[in-house]
Amino acid sequence: MTSSTSIGNAPKLGPASAAFALSASATFIFNTLLAWVKDSVPALNTFMASLTGHHWTTHSIFDLIVFVGLGFIFMKTGTAQRMDGMTLVRVVIGSAIISGLGLLGWFFFT
Amino acid sequence: MNGPTLLLFMHPTFGVLAIMASVWVFVEALNANAANAARIRIGGMVVAVCISAAYVLGGYWYTHFYGPEKDIILKGPIPWAHNLIMETKEHAFFIPLILALYLAIITREKLTNNPTARAMVLSVAALVFLSGFAIEGAGAIINFGVKAALLTNSVKGAG
Repeated sequence: MTSSTSIGNAPKLGPASAAFALSASATFIFNTLLAWVKDSVPALNTFMASLTGHHWTTHSIFDLIVFVGLGFIFMKTGTAQRMDGMTLVRVVIGSAIISGLGLLGWFFFT
Repeated sequence: MNGPTLLLFMHPTFGVLAIMASVWVFVEALNANAANAARIRIGGMVVAVCISAAYVLGGYWYTHFYGPEKDIILKGPIPWAHNLIMETKEHAFFIPLILALYLAIITREKLTNNPTARAMVLSVAALVFLSGFAIEGAGAIINFGVKAALLTNSVKGAG
């Protein structure tokens, strides 16, 4: 499942590694967007709290569902494995930094 | 020591253990070879387990016991310890959590003959310990927010 394959001279990530790299990046962005929307729409915050008893718990479960769900979808479709491996590395780094700064900036300015 | 206090201490402890394990994975991956492949996989698992433990323990404490501390911070001299730092921390924590879970996946690759996978392991491990340090620091500021509020009220009471 995680064995790497090569196209040309550039080794690529295995199916699971590539798929979950892309799903991790998508989850970072989803996490930040959900925090922004939740903070702007109190009704959503209340609804999320009603699902598990606390909005944060629901938020974390949504993140884990997105990470695992998209990971398996990307693995099945091969979407991520068709991408260049080093591009995936840059996508993971970039999305982690952007989503972190997005959260800090949001709560600084609001 | 009561249960909530124990939870409060165990949460950053597992965070620090995860930081240490991610530095371990980083160093092992810098010198990736056939001899340390198993250690890299084990290190990746240790990071994932420690961050998951920090998530469960910290999450339980936050959702059950943080409310009164939040009220104390907001009445103190640095309310931004909650409004900015805690609000950011409670959501930013999911970044190292997801990275740690992913590290357990990517460390199963054979790094010796795959520089792309090695670059990914190095990048993810570095992101875990850098974001982990930031979140540990945020926790210290929140803790100081409570202390500053209590000290201020104590001084006012004495005056």
